[in-house]
Amino acid sequence: MRRGLLALAMLFSLAWAQDRTQVLVYGGDWTDLITLDPQVVYEFTGVMIADNLYETLVRFEGNDLATLRPGLAESWKVERGTTDWILTFKLRKGSRFSTGREVTAKDVVFSFERALALKGPGSFLFTEISQLKPGATKALDPYTVEVRIPKTASPQSFLSILTFTIGGGVDSEEAQKNAKGGDFGKDFLTNNSAGSGPYRLVRWDRGNQVILEANPYARVKPKVPRVVLRYIQEPAVLRTALESGEIDIAEGLTPEGLRAIAANPRFKVVRAETLRLQYLGMNVKPGSPFANPKVREAVRFAVNQDELIQGLLQGNATKIQTFIPKGLLGYNPATPYKYDPARAKKLLAEAGYPQGLEFELLTSTGICGGGVPCPDVAAKLQADMAKAGLKAKIRAIANAEVLATYRAQNHQMVLAGWSPDFPDPDGNATPWADYAARSLAWRNGYNDEVAAKLARQAALEADPEKRKALYKVLTEKVLREGPYVVLYQPAQPIGLSAKVEGFLKNPMMSVPLWQVSKQP
Amino acid sequence: MGAYILRRLFMVLFVGVGITFITFLIAQVIPIDPAAAALGENAREEQIQEFRQRYGLDKPILVQYALYLQRLLQLDLGRSLRTGRPVAEDLKEFFPATLELALAAFLVAVLLGLAAGVWAALRQNRLPDLLVRLMALLLGSTPVFFLAILLLDLLHRRLGLLPGPGRLDPFLIPPPPVTGLTTLDALLARDWGAFQDALAHLLLPAFVLGSASAALLARMTRAAMLEVLSQDYVRTAWAKGLSERQVVLRHALKNAALPVLTLLGSLMGGLLSGAVLTETIFSWPGLGRYVTQSATSLDFPAVMGVTLLVGLVYSFLNLLVDLLYALLDPRIRYA
Repeated sequence: MRRGLLALAMLFSLAWAQDRTQVLVYGGDWTDLITLDPQVVYEFTGVMIADNLYETLVRFEGNDLATLRPGLAESWKVERGTTDWILTFKLRKGSRFSTGREVTAKDVVFSFERALALKGPGSFLFTEISQLKPGATKALDPYTVEVRIPKTASPQSFLSILTFTIGGGVDSEEAQKNAKGGDFGKDFLTNNSAGSGPYRLVRWDRGNQVILEANPYARVKPKVPRVVLRYIQEPAVLRTALESGEIDIAEGLTPEGLRAIAANPRFKVVRAETLRLQYLGMNVKPGSPFANPKVREAVRFAVNQDELIQGLLQGNATKIQTFIPKGLLGYNPATPYKYDPARAKKLLAEAGYPQGLEFELLTSTGICGGGVPCPDVAAKLQADMAKAGLKAKIRAIANAEVLATYRAQNHQMVLAGWSPDFPDPDGNATPWADYAARSLAWRNGYNDEVAAKLARQAALEADPEKRKALYKVLTEKVLREGPYVVLYQPAQPIGLSAKVEGFLKNPMMSVPLWQVSKQP
Repeated sequence: MGAYILRRLFMVLFVGVGITFITFLIAQVIPIDPAAAALGENAREEQIQEFRQRYGLDKPILVQYALYLQRLLQLDLGRSLRTGRPVAEDLKEFFPATLELALAAFLVAVLLGLAAGVWAALRQNRLPDLLVRLMALLLGSTPVFFLAILLLDLLHRRLGLLPGPGRLDPFLIPPPPVTGLTTLDALLARDWGAFQDALAHLLLPAFVLGSASAALLARMTRAAMLEVLSQDYVRTAWAKGLSERQVVLRHALKNAALPVLTLLGSLMGGLLSGAVLTETIFSWPGLGRYVTQSATSLDFPAVMGVTLLVGLVYSFLNLLVDLLYALLDPRIRYA
């Protein structure tokens, strides 16, 4: 029996005789992946991968989302025209697609027009936020691109949006060669790549793996030439695979799994910062108890943020009370509200509820920011608020149903999450403060003309210092008067083999895999 | 015989309509909006409206169903709400993995189950019988996820005897996809290393998935064999001085096969309809995982596609079992 097992082991170990430092294996739940077309992709995994296949005109480096750096463009300038902002980009020479062709202004124009024509889920970044119109992007010469956007749009937001895959440069000839029925090669680029990024897509077996290989013509050469993204959904299996060396990076481990990994010298844990906020939304439409500002104030004093973060979240989150996440311009570190049930009770009595207030707290049955089940977060809040006379009845339902109820403004209080669509404070300010945007402010019935005006003014302000000052006023105002209680900004811990160096996941979920190296 | 098969195939059409109609009805009972489910928390109202129009979700339910049937007649299963791809293409990609795993699990079930059942029946109430019954009880009642994680931890993580989750070592270059069955593709590419590795990756999930079926089969075979072994003709066979092998294989097993065959048909059907837990734990990209993801995002065209496929598989397996009856028992005739 023993000998049989040994023979079996030897038989299968043949396949292990490869140079494992030349392949990086990244395990996680990639099931949200539905396309790798840079102009269409809008899912976490898809954006993360496409970011390694395509280059954008400008980009962010590491965790710094405030400084734009050169990408395909070596320089750029923003000018004020009579009716438009005029942005001019100088392309660097010698960037090449995986097809071997050089990247020229024609390809950039094609890619921008392609994004507008395909109308993918992220296209509103171009059409609405940037108000970019078809024909507004021009090639002045093979290495110069000019883009015009209306004065009512924010050039800062537009530049931030250009770091995102939607502005990724696609080989226009390759895409057109594979176009079917005027789809700009959308079907083709779902499963294939035609970019100038450090990697090219070799294979995507849905539900199983995605394989990337170094783009032989890329300007930036990856340290590990081959990357395999392995679909592993089950956290216990993910941990087993990491511990046995079958994968190098594990995303989605449980807090217990992470603790075990961190204690083992063969592994390490990297903390990925996010721009996500977990918050409570209170419906303030007339007739609701939360329409009374004193009740909202009471709720703010009835939330024990410190215990929530240190206990339930095991410290995997940043304490924050204002609505622009840490990492973006305009982040306001103020945390004036401390857990004070007695004060909350008094405020509640002043508001006309001396016997306490009963209400429904809506929550998803799914996972909240920081990898903790939402019903657990709700239960902790319920217990803390109960001491202040705020009696929450928890209703936990499927996430899609929570969203539908929230969108229909049929909630009283909801536990929800938010991530900005692009790395700019306006990605939060408009949805959170402008009722007319029909987003979070609207869902919670928060119609404050002053807040909305501040958000619009700050979005268009070109001077960073003045912009910061405007956001300070706005975040302060919404913190005191708004319909939200911001709970925390989660971080995402990722387990890796100690042999892996240079791994980073930035708050926009971008992972520059080409910077990762592997020791033998 | 030919007319019988034709008639049965015709019935399959009605099964298909029935399945889709019931699935459509269920879609109506669930109070969640598929557009909201597909677009997530940041979606704007206009995007949701646009999505509803694009997929025809704004039309009355009966109109939606009529349109679906109309497309189905042209063999078009529609587009998935979640992946945006034709459902048929998704099925083509996910079904081969399930097929490979199901065939392997079926093999495990038949080899283990039949052998153990026969052995137990021949040694009734003695040690082998007790062992088989105990194992059958254990394997039949151990939850799949527990068995899977236990075996993975023991055989993969601790002993390193068998590979971990997935279909192939990620450090290997996978063979070009032809059939979608990794073992077969590796053979076609004459890549022996990949073939061995794919086979090794198949062992654990096949055992885990097949073990419960094996347990059921062992008990069924044992019971059927015991009944046959007490028949007069078996006693006559023994009396003629035939060897145990001849008695068992020629006289007893063939007659015990009918009830076992019925079970085999439904077991294979069950294995082919996708094993959610086994597929999830072993990161096996099959139908079971596809359909759970589709169901949780209320992707009804996809769910309907899978249900239809599974319905067809069951119908054909039943037909096959019925035809095999006639082969095993000459008294059965179809006209």
